[in-house]
Amino acid sequence: MQAWQKLLIVAALATIIVVAGTIVYFNYFTKRRLFISTTTSLDDTKLLEKIESDYEATHNVDLNILAVGTGIAIQHAKNGDADVVLVHAPSVELSFLEDGYGVNRKIIAYNFFTIVGPADDPAQTSGKTATEALFNIVQYGQNMPDQSGGTQIWVSRGDNSGTNSKEKSLWTAAGYNYTELSEEVWFASTGQGMGSTLTIADQKNAYTLSDIGTYLKFYSDGTISLSSLILEEQPLLNVYSVMAVSPTVSANQSVHEDINFEDAMDFIEYLVSDETQELITNYGKDTYGQSLFTGAVQPLIDDAPQPLVSWIQDYAFFDGSECPPQYRNGYADLYT
Amino acid sequence: MADILGGIVEAFQLIFTGDPEILGIVSRSLLFSGTAVILAILWGTPLAMLIAMKEFRGKTVIKTFLNTLIGLPTVVLGLILFLIISRGGPIGFLGLLYTPAAIMIGQAILVTPILVSIGVSAIESVDPEIMSLSKTLGASESQAQVAVLKEAASGIILSDIASFNRAIGELGVVLLVGGNIVGVGNRTDVLTTAISRNVQIGEIGLAVALGILLVIILFTINIIVAVLRKANYIVELAKAPYFRLKRYRETKQ
Amino acid sequence: MMVIAELKDVTKAYGNKIVVDAVNLQIREGEILALLGPNGSGKTTILKILAFIENPTGGEVKFQGKAVNFKNTEKERMQSTLVFQKTTLFGTSVYNNIAYGLKIRKVPKETRDREVKKALEIVKLEGFEKRNATKLSGGEQQRVAIARALVLKTKLLLLDEPTANLDPKNVGILEDVIDTVNRENKTTIVMATHNMFQAKKLPHRIALMDEGKITEIGAPAEVFGKLSKNLARFAAVDNTFTGTAKATASGTSKVDVGNGVQIEVTSQKQGTAAVFVNPQDIILSKTAVESSARNVFKGKITEISDLDSLVKLKIDVGKTFTVQITKQSFNEMGLCLNAEVFITFKASSVQVL
Repeated sequence: MQAWQKLLIVAALATIIVVAGTIVYFNYFTKRRLFISTTTSLDDTKLLEKIESDYEATHNVDLNILAVGTGIAIQHAKNGDADVVLVHAPSVELSFLEDGYGVNRKIIAYNFFTIVGPADDPAQTSGKTATEALFNIVQYGQNMPDQSGGTQIWVSRGDNSGTNSKEKSLWTAAGYNYTELSEEVWFASTGQGMGSTLTIADQKNAYTLSDIGTYLKFYSDGTISLSSLILEEQPLLNVYSVMAVSPTVSANQSVHEDINFEDAMDFIEYLVSDETQELITNYGKDTYGQSLFTGAVQPLIDDAPQPLVSWIQDYAFFDGSECPPQYRNGYADLYT
Repeated sequence: MADILGGIVEAFQLIFTGDPEILGIVSRSLLFSGTAVILAILWGTPLAMLIAMKEFRGKTVIKTFLNTLIGLPTVVLGLILFLIISRGGPIGFLGLLYTPAAIMIGQAILVTPILVSIGVSAIESVDPEIMSLSKTLGASESQAQVAVLKEAASGIILSDIASFNRAIGELGVVLLVGGNIVGVGNRTDVLTTAISRNVQIGEIGLAVALGILLVIILFTINIIVAVLRKANYIVELAKAPYFRLKRYRETKQ
Repeated sequence: MMVIAELKDVTKAYGNKIVVDAVNLQIREGEILALLGPNGSGKTTILKILAFIENPTGGEVKFQGKAVNFKNTEKERMQSTLVFQKTTLFGTSVYNNIAYGLKIRKVPKETRDREVKKALEIVKLEGFEKRNATKLSGGEQQRVAIARALVLKTKLLLLDEPTANLDPKNVGILEDVIDTVNRENKTTIVMATHNMFQAKKLPHRIALMDEGKITEIGAPAEVFGKLSKNLARFAAVDNTFTGTAKATASGTSKVDVGNGVQIEVTSQKQGTAAVFVNPQDIILSKTAVESSARNVFKGKITEISDLDSLVKLKIDVGKTFTVQITKQSFNEMGLCLNAEVFITFKASSVQVL
């Protein structure tokens, strides 16, 4: 046999060994893996890192966190590449449940979005409501001296993430068409995560919408020098929920074997437990002087404080519940 | 500027204190890309031999195609592979997504065009008489091909190094099929993905440090190979006077 | 008298060009056979066929009595080896070059070392084992190639113009080696050459080739004796001329070879004759030299070839002569193309064929 033929056979063998070896290893020799796809804002604050090490210390599961942004997170879950989704876009979450991909939704935390911008506030947004601030920004952008496209005053995520969804709803509430606005010369779109978008806004001396968590981290690390200019109000509420990926394929109701449903539910139960809720609420207090996130489970049970709880219900409940019964799969005591 | 300087300082600190997190990232980079290159060498060398030594129709087309593939953006390849191995894809049932194997094979596919292209060039520039020469000295067709390969060794080693450099420095494939999974268990983060992630979360100093580490590694590997090749030659040179001396002494007796 | 290899009606064509034309040839075991002829006459192709690295387009080849299947000549190649005209070496040490064939034949290391050493002694390159083969001079490289072939002790040894680019010293060494190897090891040697001198001394038989055919074959004396029939064949070979001889009063003859060139020879001849002058017997000068030599011609340099320590020049004096001088002389004389020069040689150096 010729030399090259011999080499090709060795090559084929080697490849098969690598592939087979990996399959065997991951199925028999290592911990079970749980794939969690999530938003970048939870990850950029390193809250998830903390949760992961806390969880893996007490559970014999390997958490694999894929921080990809809400849009992609949902897509991963639909493909079956994730077992749990942890996002913050209620409208998207509702479709996910309705289309049969997700079950057992729990709202686990909340914080507020904020509009941040250059410290000298050229568009005069300080102290205004979100709608007023956005109006001022549009006025500023359409009338500023440099209309060449070299200067931008607003930076958008532009990536179908939870933050982007919120941004779009804010623009709509202020009476604007997001698609038209994104064509204007003063409007920039990054297509990237929260951290990168903040950095870009900082470099451009522009305004952007950010969750308070990521903003605080970046601000106190000195990575950006933008200021948070407006106050917490209902339109700026940011709610994080977790859903397990349904173990049955919605199309034909057969069992989706690759989905690790059991571990997914264990993780959800962990997230809603008192200890974890406390961990979430306390996260960042020492470093940043305030919480980045607040646990939502207890407030929902206590129905206090108000008006916060009713804001959450308005924004993130479906048919009066965080998870309507038809989208539940066992685990009834999650929903007392 | 502060970030770059800070990064340089941090880089050396990390290297000298042997921070286990960094060691892990570096060893994963070396392991994944090293295995990828070995696989590519195993696939690619016979392919290069085939293309260089055999005549067949469409040879020019294939060579041009390979040359084009060299420039294939890593994200594009990463995306294609992701779609194939994702659970929703044709071979998703193998569960290869987000595993080291996916990275190794993905990078191997990425660098094969470079390896084959340069390899073909190297083999083609070998004196065509070498084949006949080996045969007339008794070599079989297979052995003669090996002799040609040996003559092309210099160029082939170059193709191997170029492949390794490309593999260890790429981002698109390892990010999309590896998932950049950190934490305690089976991690798939490597130098390039760690740099990318750290920039995203604002840890610029650490990103710079990792970048410097990557460059140092590239430099070191290339130096080692260059030295080995020179060393071979130098050792041969050094042996010559020794043997002359030995012979001189023998004849004196 | 055993026939070790035989070509029966062997033809080789490359596309439309017929390089070997229905050749019949028997190689006798233990002989030295020279193939003599101009470039392009098919010598190299015949050698390659005998080395089993080129397959004939037509005809049959027999080796050691058995017909050769050119689809798989591995076994036959172990018994026949060819030293190429253009020296080809592996880019490694002299030892590795010479030992290559031995390694293929799975000869153990100790024996290999010994054989390589012996081979280097034969070609007078003792101690060269560790040297890088590609860094040697042209002559040394050629000797390494020969050593590499000798060490295999094949039944059939094929040499393509083995001394073509060597200086006289190396030519002498090599001719001795060929002679020794044939006598002591009884190796059958087939060599291609276009050096008439060599063709006369070394071989047992010579075969004249022209345009793919063998025109004459026999012992040198025989063939050269029959030359009157084959004069035209030799026109292409260096420094061979044919013409009409006329005896002179002083006991010599002058051979008119055309274009006003008359070569004086020492033997008495009348009628058609062929003459040959060894390039090394010709003296080159920039001005006419007054000497006892009878043959002096003026001409122009039409070609210059660099052969390491020698330079080969073609001088057109009406007819073209090939002359060989040392590199040093060439540089000192400051010669270039189209330079006017004189060539001088004695009548006694001229070989009448």
